[in-house]
Amino acid sequence: MRNRNPGSEALRAAACAAVCAVLLALPAGAPRAEYGDVVINNHSDKAGMRPVVFPHWFHRIRFSCKACHADLGFQFRAGGNDINMVKIIDGQFCGACHNGEIAWAIENCNLCHSAPPGTPTQVHESTLQRMNK
Amino acid sequence: MRARLGFRIFLFSVLAPCWVGTVSAQQGKTVYEKSCALCHGAGVAGAPKFGNSADWAPRISRGAAALYTSALNGTPKGMPPRGGNAELKDADVKAAVDYMMAAAAASPKPAAAAAKPPAPAAEKPAPVGKPAAAAAPAAAAASVAAAQPAAQVNAFNRLMRPASRQNPPPTEDGIHDPKNDGTHQLQAPRSAYEGLPRASAGNRVNWVAALEEKRITPRWDRADPKAAGLVLDFNIVREVKGSMPDVVYPHKQHTEWLDCSNCHPAIFIPQKGANQISMASILLGEKCGVCHGKVAFPVSECRLCHSKKKDLAGSASATGARP
Repeated sequence: MRNRNPGSEALRAAACAAVCAVLLALPAGAPRAEYGDVVINNHSDKAGMRPVVFPHWFHRIRFSCKACHADLGFQFRAGGNDINMVKIIDGQFCGACHNGEIAWAIENCNLCHSAPPGTPTQVHESTLQRMNK
Repeated sequence: MRARLGFRIFLFSVLAPCWVGTVSAQQGKTVYEKSCALCHGAGVAGAPKFGNSADWAPRISRGAAALYTSALNGTPKGMPPRGGNAELKDADVKAAVDYMMAAAAASPKPAAAAAKPPAPAAEKPAPVGKPAAAAAPAAAAASVAAAQPAAQVNAFNRLMRPASRQNPPPTEDGIHDPKNDGTHQLQAPRSAYEGLPRASAGNRVNWVAALEEKRITPRWDRADPKAAGLVLDFNIVREVKGSMPDVVYPHKQHTEWLDCSNCHPAIFIPQKGANQISMASILLGEKCGVCHGKVAFPVSECRLCHSKKKDLAGSASATGARP
């Protein structure tokens, strides 16, 4: 009998989940990211970078909506904020926190710029996105 | 005497491998059915299909040792180590590989006609080994569809996303590029949601309850962990047309997350009766739909807003419709 290590159960569960996922695949390859994940592709594709994915779920665990949408002036619309790296370096928008003090700094390009190239600006699983499908 | 002993040794040396072979084949079959058939039975996700010589031939040609290694350690293509069952011993895994290799070797070549149906077909609910299936590519595609177990085809909630497919990690969510190294450093939502109250829609997390129960403590001010906002406990009831219950809008739950300036006056004029709100505008992302249907709970959760039962008796008597 092999020793059970803590990872083996998790691995098994993950494998079973993966199998079920494949067996019960709905439209194959359809994105199934988190509700509220925002893809921002205002400038990224043109600049040869991967588009940005902003995970709402991750940030709302740590900050109230107000911290970004009132204090930092983020508009309630995907792509509705003209964010660029110069502004971020100057401490605006994402740069208000992603400065190495509150959150990791901007040298971690690929943590934000992480969507497959060509992914359009969108709020994933939003009502509008679902209706336009 | 000596001759008899010699005969016994001979008999043993001939029969023992047969016996061992049968046991290992039986063991292989058992392991296969328990741990491998789920994928290899139907050829899911590129897994070489059981009894399909075309799938197996190139793999067998690389030698059994290579197949053992792949089965034991997994492959980047998606084969999990030990078929995802970490309790399997090396010998179990190898026996299962042997069993599958033997089945592939025994199955008829595509060119061969249907002299006899392939052995595994009898064990499966779906007709995997249709004799003519391999003849034409179109027919082969049809057999792939037919190979889906009947149980899956007629599964409940065919178009709904099962729990196992909710909240996938970034590498599998279709929005993040798995080829990007940063993607692999991102947190998986499920690990964050552990211990948070569940909901049936959106992120499948009841964020309002999570905040109320202090399971999460989002900062009101980005730099000051102690700052707290002014919570306004003031409900507004909106009577709605039709039979839906009236809407109760709680300022409390909203001001726990948001500042007054987030909604007023740009989205909602702070004056009774000054705001025209319809489900159509909400669906289009206006009014409540600025957040609900994007990040706050989605519009599928009708009763979370439409929560005040209409006083039907009162309204009926007012119109004189009461018998």
